[in-house]
Amino acid sequence: MKQLQAAQTMSLLVQATATLAAAPSEEDPQFGDRILPAEIRQALARLRLLQSVPFSYLVADALLLPRESIRFFYLDRAWTDALVQGALSVGTVNSSDRAELAALHAAIRPEIDEEERRVRTPGGERVQQGPAGQISGFVLRSRAVSGWPGLHVRAYDRELGEADDASIPESDPRRIKLLRMERLAPAVLLVLFDGVPAVVHIEEPRQGVQFGVLLRPDAANPNRNRAVVKPRNALTAKDTNQNPADVVNVPFRAGTPGVLDIKALNAALMAKAGTNMGTEVDGAEFALQMLRFPYRQVFGDPSLQPGAIDQVFRPTVKFTLAKLQASFAKGLAP
Amino acid sequence: MPAPGTFVLHSLANPPLKAGDYTLTGQVNVSRADGSPVGAVDPQATHLRITSPRYKLPPDQLLSTFPPANAVGAFSARLPQVVIKRRTLPWEREAAPGASTTPWVALVVLAEGEATLSGDVPVRECVTPGITLSGPGDVATGTYLSVTRSVIDKVFPMRDELALLCHVREVDVNDTELAAGDDDGFLATVIANRLPQYDRANDKPVRYMACLINLEGQLDALAKQAPKTFDFLTNAAVFDYRVSLPPAGDPDHVVMGHALKVGAVAGVAQGVQRGTTAASRAARVDAPGRKLQTPPAQRTTGPAAANKSTASQWATTTARIETAGLTSAANEAGRLVRDVMRDGYRANLEQLNLGERVYRFPVLAHWSFTVGDEGGFDLLMARLDVGLLGTEPAPEKVPPGAPPAPPEPRPAAEFTETGHVGLPHLTRGGERVRAWYRGPLGAVPTQRDEPDPASTPPGRLPLAHVSDQLRRVVPDGREDLSLAAAFEIGRLLALSQPSLVRALLVWRGEQFGAARARSLLGVMSDAPALVRALKAGTGDAALLLSRHLVQQTGARPGQVLAKTRPVADPGRPLPYAREGGLDRLIADGFGFTTAQVQEFRKGAGSALSLQRVAVPLGKQRADAPLLEGAAIERLRGVLVADVDRLTADSIGRPPGAGGLVAGGLAVGPRGAGRSGRGASQPAGTGAREPAREPAREPDALDDLIARATAARRRQP
Repeated sequence: MKQLQAAQTMSLLVQATATLAAAPSEEDPQFGDRILPAEIRQALARLRLLQSVPFSYLVADALLLPRESIRFFYLDRAWTDALVQGALSVGTVNSSDRAELAALHAAIRPEIDEEERRVRTPGGERVQQGPAGQISGFVLRSRAVSGWPGLHVRAYDRELGEADDASIPESDPRRIKLLRMERLAPAVLLVLFDGVPAVVHIEEPRQGVQFGVLLRPDAANPNRNRAVVKPRNALTAKDTNQNPADVVNVPFRAGTPGVLDIKALNAALMAKAGTNMGTEVDGAEFALQMLRFPYRQVFGDPSLQPGAIDQVFRPTVKFTLAKLQASFAKGLAP
Repeated sequence: MPAPGTFVLHSLANPPLKAGDYTLTGQVNVSRADGSPVGAVDPQATHLRITSPRYKLPPDQLLSTFPPANAVGAFSARLPQVVIKRRTLPWEREAAPGASTTPWVALVVLAEGEATLSGDVPVRECVTPGITLSGPGDVATGTYLSVTRSVIDKVFPMRDELALLCHVREVDVNDTELAAGDDDGFLATVIANRLPQYDRANDKPVRYMACLINLEGQLDALAKQAPKTFDFLTNAAVFDYRVSLPPAGDPDHVVMGHALKVGAVAGVAQGVQRGTTAASRAARVDAPGRKLQTPPAQRTTGPAAANKSTASQWATTTARIETAGLTSAANEAGRLVRDVMRDGYRANLEQLNLGERVYRFPVLAHWSFTVGDEGGFDLLMARLDVGLLGTEPAPEKVPPGAPPAPPEPRPAAEFTETGHVGLPHLTRGGERVRAWYRGPLGAVPTQRDEPDPASTPPGRLPLAHVSDQLRRVVPDGREDLSLAAAFEIGRLLALSQPSLVRALLVWRGEQFGAARARSLLGVMSDAPALVRALKAGTGDAALLLSRHLVQQTGARPGQVLAKTRPVADPGRPLPYAREGGLDRLIADGFGFTTAQVQEFRKGAGSALSLQRVAVPLGKQRADAPLLEGAAIERLRGVLVADVDRLTADSIGRPPGAGGLVAGGLAVGPRGAGRSGRGASQPAGTGAREPAREPAREPDALDDLIARATAARRRQP
């Protein structure tokens, strides 16, 4: 026993603490071995996406978000990192805990980065992987948020040259994924994008798509109205033809402004060639005929559509000070 | 799930059992293999109740309404609708026996004056008297809609139309905010049959009430046949119970000349009569091509006068509903808003002498909206104030001639281009200062620090452990508390979830403890002494280690625990407090030894000591020709006089009272050039170049100096 040097014991202990190596604590089915347990990773990733952060910490002054406004932003990674560091600091009691946490932090942070993209995976999509980049987004405060619940928001990294009704799948590389989309208050919508979009679409909700007619007010007396419907093929949901004049007059109940005579309208639609409605009309077929397209608001570079909005979102490339210096130096060089 | 960007329409979602009480009876007859009966088991009756909303739609079932409640907009070409989360809801009850595919609900849209809405009454009073709805109700009290026969005929959907006004929608919830919820994407939609209109010619908005009503037991009350037309007048009057209201009892308005109200009521009455005439006339006109006969100008005159007052009343109602929603307590807001919405629909039709039968329909949900010439989703989106976060809001447009806006109730906010906001800050010391804060949402992209400790900029920690480590002082002297606030809110949010705290502690214990043990084992293989000691059978290794730890701690606490703090903190080192004290300081300053200073200090203080110090003059060498002769003697005399005078000036004594003071002014043959700095010009010249210049006669300046010296010497 006397051969054992106490100093040696001490140095062993010190060495053991200092050489703490990150060891996986569990295996993720998708990502493989990970240091942080899934529960902590998910909680910290949700925190990264500002879940449950009080709104006054996000928007510090009401003037920053006036009524009926949309405000785009870049997410400050330094801020969210500080947020996560605060959460990680819980339970670090002594300096050896802190030293060990500091040693692990470089390995922990990328794990939370990749977990961010798994917080919102609608429809069993595949999770995008790769280094965490710039997160951007917008806060929308408007009556449109409270009145039209379930707005659709889509973002693309370039101006789409396709038709308005083109369906672009979520996995399309042009599409920028939504990391978070939540109503923070009845009239405040927060959206976070995994990247910096060039074009943002906000669309009327599908489940709230309305039905209606095309009103044709009389030129002489605007109070006198006629209404028409462009018939659609009940099997394909497409217009029966491209002729805008080929429409069905909408019958109304006599003496009452705006009350549709639905039975008569159905009879007229069934009689129309190409509607394929059969002899019996059900609710879905009637709804199909009366469907109006949802409205879509596009936010993008106004120079692409001259004469449009005077002040819209202009995404810019992220610049660093080093790049700025380089460009200055280039400009100064003879 | 439908493809992204599309949705699917279904005609109906009919539950196999409608809401109500059922008895499930089971009876088993047992028989032998040959067919002879053994007997019957006692019949078993099981009672079950299938519930469904009846008088009130649960608020969580209502997903959205169109137009939105209390909205003002151009909704005249769109049918109002209500979207219900449970897809089967419109078919969960039988409106009439056997009508299993007919929905039991309908959405009716009524303008002011066409119907009234009750307050909360017991549910048995919610249906037309004479009709009883059997079976259990979902709530104790409900509201009902009172309408007359003519309004049902004109506005309510006909019985055959009900099935066409309900359908099920299957939507893709992925790119909506509902994706995180548990919604399956199937929704029931009930559409109204009326396009809400307004007076286009006079641009008068009209307020409508949309009610989701229960048709149970009253399906036969709906119209079965109605005349049709292909054009309509948006301001055609349907019905207005208000014309039957008794005139106000107080004739004050007549006396005071306010005849407007009477005129308005009369005008409406006129309009109604004309409207009904038009309706009966239109009933006969079935051909689509033919126009109504009545000149439109004639018909618009009546209601136009009334609209003046009612339009402004609608506008105030909309504002009042908004105020009620904004100002009332959260648990009361719904009731108060619904109550204010009833404005204009409050009368009791059954007490008025209308000459028609009045029906009651239970109202499951109701909301009001106003139809005008503009507004709606497109306008809201197009008029949004668009900008990056930090953009100052657009100044409010003040119409010309309007009174100036009242001063802001608070001082103007401080914004910077970087997105920082100046906020009042109460420091821990109790000082009220202003600090900068920037939230996570900024107008400019920011650089993210690398997690690697090696690349952390100097002066910054790779990982903060307390929020104070993230407080920054910016060049203007204020503190920037953005990151410190983020740290603190992150810490508090983590602490608010006990499960997360526990997970962190468990992880830390397992991860850190296991890693420590692993690496300890690794280094132990390199420590033969320890291994030998363990092998020698000294028992518990932990006990062994801990004993040594205690021993070592006692012996060298500074190394094992931490460095001990000194009893008192050392202050700034004082030059006088060094070894040698003031003497050393003087000696260093003047360039002679401490011993000399100490020697002369024994006399009468420092000044006397200084005077006694011999000037360390250089020794004269025998072969030094420059130092011989009368010239050098004279030079020396002049220099001595000068030094004497300078010394006298500097120490405040009359010259000649003591010997020479040298030190820094050491005058010597070789050092003469240096010493000449303080001496007069001729002396310096003579000292520097005595060989090349012949001894000259004393000039006037020399005389002057000599006289002055002599005069001073004579002084006491």
